[in-house]
Amino acid sequence: MKINDLITPEGTKDLLFNECITRQNIENKIHAIFKSGGYSELITPCIEFYDVFTHNSSHFSQEKLFKLMDCKGRILVLRPDNTVPIARIVATRLKDAVLPMRLYYNQCVFNMAPSLKGKSAQVVQTGIELIGSSSKMADLEVISTAINVLSSCGNGDYSLEIGDIRFFQELVRKLEVSDEEKETIRNYIKAKNYPALNDFLDNIGDNQVIQALKRLPGLFGGEEVFGKASQLFSDEKIDTILSDLKELYNKISKIAGKGKITVDLGMVNKTDYYTGVIIRGYLEGYGEEVLSGGRYDKLIADFGYDIPATGFAVNVDAVMSVEMKKNSLTDKSIDAIIYAENGFEIEALHAANKLRQEGSTAELSLFETLEETIAYAKAKNIAKIIKVNEIVTEVE
Amino acid sequence: MSKPIRIALTKGRLEKDTIGLLEKSGFDCTAVREKGRKLILPIKDINAEVVLAKANDVITYVEHGVCDIGIVGKDTIMEMSGKFFEMVDLGFGRCKFALAVKKGTDFYAGYGVKTIATKYPNITRNYFESKGMDVDIVKIEGSVELAPLLELSNGIVDIVETGTTLKENGLEVIEDIAPISARLIVNTVSMKLRQKEIENLIKIIEENLQLC
Repeated sequence: MKINDLITPEGTKDLLFNECITRQNIENKIHAIFKSGGYSELITPCIEFYDVFTHNSSHFSQEKLFKLMDCKGRILVLRPDNTVPIARIVATRLKDAVLPMRLYYNQCVFNMAPSLKGKSAQVVQTGIELIGSSSKMADLEVISTAINVLSSCGNGDYSLEIGDIRFFQELVRKLEVSDEEKETIRNYIKAKNYPALNDFLDNIGDNQVIQALKRLPGLFGGEEVFGKASQLFSDEKIDTILSDLKELYNKISKIAGKGKITVDLGMVNKTDYYTGVIIRGYLEGYGEEVLSGGRYDKLIADFGYDIPATGFAVNVDAVMSVEMKKNSLTDKSIDAIIYAENGFEIEALHAANKLRQEGSTAELSLFETLEETIAYAKAKNIAKIIKVNEIVTEVE
Repeated sequence: MSKPIRIALTKGRLEKDTIGLLEKSGFDCTAVREKGRKLILPIKDINAEVVLAKANDVITYVEHGVCDIGIVGKDTIMEMSGKFFEMVDLGFGRCKFALAVKKGTDFYAGYGVKTIATKYPNITRNYFESKGMDVDIVKIEGSVELAPLLELSNGIVDIVETGTTLKENGLEVIEDIAPISARLIVNTVSMKLRQKEIENLIKIIEENLQLC
């Protein structure tokens, strides 16, 4: 007995008409930005070997992966991420390519959505990867591209946040605690969970590093953050990280304008993946980040080719939901319908093609009578009805 | 004036304590006290409004960003988990998660897989996973204390406040799992886009908490 034949799996949805147009428009405008910056498109398969996603710096938890088997019993997954497959290509087919490489993609990622939370299991992402340069200029290029993307989405009411994962890594490295404990600290900072973080750190001891870590979740906001951070802890490495980040902040603030750029040193997601500057973009009207990325210098080395890289991904579905709220487009109607009298079908095709070449949209009437055609045109809101026999006439 | 900050408030005991705290902080909460059947209520003196919801829904609303701030018990946070900032321990609504069994029985005796009855299956699973122990979990909606008495389960994992209900039914706590109290949570994007307003509000609340 079939019970699931009328619905789509949880976390997926069908897109109809305007939704398709809105998504395509978003993709087109973002891709225009990417292409004009010299980025070339890659398409990778939806299905990959499970092994691709189990490396040290990009471990994806089993629970979230959609899994299949191939004909030899090997485990396959629906790709949960776009950057990792691109790292695979770079380390194999593009190993001899000239560096730096500028790549972009536009494809779905799949992650099991928690049940009944209104989250998607299948999300379209588009993004860039700038591979083979560890320069500050590369970071700046990627971030300014992110700014161009964000300012073209929604109504331009965006906010871009920068941080540097090394600030946290350097601090926590100075603590004599196990990796599990470091992970606990990271999770509390990530959730800005002050009560739990304070309790946990109090049990470890009390020194300048611990005091600094306690303040880390609150180190976000505007330029004043750099002042606060430098008072918390100072050594050569940390000072360099902060001054580099401040320099970057000042530069991109010039591009983006006041108030659009913020700093968050407590942004500590995916520490084993990112290795430097990280970014996040938000749009007014969406409850999560719509853009995220950063520098990942160790990821491609997992595939045997040790080169630095940076990039970001945009959640196209999120941008779409913001834009659908903004402009509730009505379905666009067809300009004209062509009705052919018996024996004048070819002439009708010619008339339709002529209209289409002039830039209008034209449908052929599939009805037997003109009356039925008129009723259909009325229902579909088609303005022009054209009758074709010996001559072509417009029906009122 | 910009959009009001929307605060999702867990109905019931936490609601009363939170309103008390807000009033002590100098905000006029008359509308919330005399709410009738309304579900979205303005707070005077500050650009904010309160949404009354069930505990699980508070987390859902904050996670999706339709509410900026939520007041909810740590028990619900532990059971639901999710992506938000957990900023302040409000200190009220204090109790604990505990493992309780029939008085005088040895929960760990024997080789058999134990059965646990609970309203909180995720917390129970995480707790026993962290001990490396397999257990069968039975979800109960009403009085969990019944399950060991009816011999459906070897023990229960539940919220314990004073322990009176347990005692009256011949049960006793054998292990504390985690302390619980009310928390103030914030949507991750609201925190960034409305940093000043939210930080101000939290600062006022924290100052008045210390006075409590």
